[in-house]
Amino acid sequence: MASTHSRNGWVVWLTFAVGLLLSVSPLPQFMEILRPLWLALLLAFWSLHLPHRVGMVTAMFLGLAEDVLYGTLLGQNALILTLITFLVLSLQQRLRMFPMWQQCLVILVIFGLAQLVQLWLSALTGNRQPTLALVLPALVSALLWPWISFGLRGLRRRYKIN
Amino acid sequence: MGVRLLVLVVLSVALMVVDARFALLKPVRSQMSLVLMQTYWITDLPQRLYQGVASQFGSRTELAAENEKLKTENLLLQGRMQKLAALTEQNVRLRELLNSSALVNEKVEVAELIGMDPNPFTHRIIINKGERDGVVLGQPVLDARGLMGQVVELMPYTSRVLLLTDTTHSIPVQVNRNGLRAIASGTGNPERLELRHVADTADIKEGDLLVSSGLGQRFPAGYPVATVKEVIHDSGQPFAIVRAVPTAALNRSRYLLLVFSDNRTPEERANDAAQAQEAEDKQNGTLPVTPAIVPKPAFVGPPAPANLPAATAPVATPAKPATHSARPAKPAASTTPAAKPPAGAASTTRQREE
Repeated sequence: MASTHSRNGWVVWLTFAVGLLLSVSPLPQFMEILRPLWLALLLAFWSLHLPHRVGMVTAMFLGLAEDVLYGTLLGQNALILTLITFLVLSLQQRLRMFPMWQQCLVILVIFGLAQLVQLWLSALTGNRQPTLALVLPALVSALLWPWISFGLRGLRRRYKIN
Repeated sequence: MGVRLLVLVVLSVALMVVDARFALLKPVRSQMSLVLMQTYWITDLPQRLYQGVASQFGSRTELAAENEKLKTENLLLQGRMQKLAALTEQNVRLRELLNSSALVNEKVEVAELIGMDPNPFTHRIIINKGERDGVVLGQPVLDARGLMGQVVELMPYTSRVLLLTDTTHSIPVQVNRNGLRAIASGTGNPERLELRHVADTADIKEGDLLVSSGLGQRFPAGYPVATVKEVIHDSGQPFAIVRAVPTAALNRSRYLLLVFSDNRTPEERANDAAQAQEAEDKQNGTLPVTPAIVPKPAFVGPPAPANLPAATAPVATPAKPATHSARPAKPAASTTPAAKPPAGAASTTRQREE
């Protein structure tokens, strides 16, 4: 994209890089099950506020990166993240008008759906996860959404990203 | 937007199918991992930094105490090794008498853990040795106390190791006491393995050591796997419920050993050993009398089981001159040519390390 249209795009990519780091950073055993879906959160925010820059193709590439990191089938997380981005994009006009708590609820539902698809996909590939505790990350992510949202909004204003 | 979604979904599903069925995408994956695996390295940095700082500021008394402890441990291990040498020697001779196949020699290399799999439902770890270091798919991984798992995914400079306790993992084992065979499956709990289909009347009891039986053709035989923790005889169940605790510190070990089985012939090993010895002597600037001594040091490195410590020794560089100087001290005893191979194994590992 020409620099007249977009400024400071590198900040967006920097946040994605940090997101990738966070998604593999070591956590204590009991917290691993609660690890938020960092990349999905970042994708949701940026596709909500910069839909012309961050879309489903970006989501797909990030998903492929995550697949390589996690050692899952190439395309599994790509599919999940693409779905999440699609849902956020299709609700974009309404979601931006919602108060924060309502946004949180929508995020919870979207991420929960995505995690269920994840459960289903990993069952297909033979790594059956025993419980529905897999939906917990969606809950944690929804609770983190206000902070992520405020933080990234500040970042966006600071660097005048558009 | 809907069309784009459809295209991307179809594309990712196609990718998944291709990745699951064919080896087509393996090079792509390994190229991507070249860059992406650095994230594990970066997230591991704080830990390294902490260790570095800790070793910088370790107090003198602490270091002295640690040194003392290590010395004692070393003494104990070396004492045990002396006996091992004789025993393995005897074992080789008895096997020759029985005309049974010789023990396969193994050498090991040290690898370091750089990351855990973020998925809490799988037990996998990332280590810092990969395809370029000669790691192969399915290679067994040990820690100082026992078997840990096997390599399941290769990347150029890293690899992924599936631990024994993963729910998708099973390993053929043997009770060390009486040779009873069983299969130990992972349960998803890092402190527990379960033995499948053990008859209610089988002779197995609490405290038994389970060693790998080597029957699966994947793990070498004779490495400790687990100790039996409880045996439950439930008359309503067709089989006894046997639970065991892995001997390896699956969720604590940071330094791991990769096992390479050494399938060269004794002659090849002897030659390699001679060459390695020569190279080393050249490096040290000693007189080239080596060809004469080559067979002598051979007996120092005892066969298979004992070369585990022998091969790890070279990693700590100060140990090298020590083993070197120790050799000429005992040449008189070296008579059996059967003892050659292990020295070869040990010195080739050293060569690799250098």
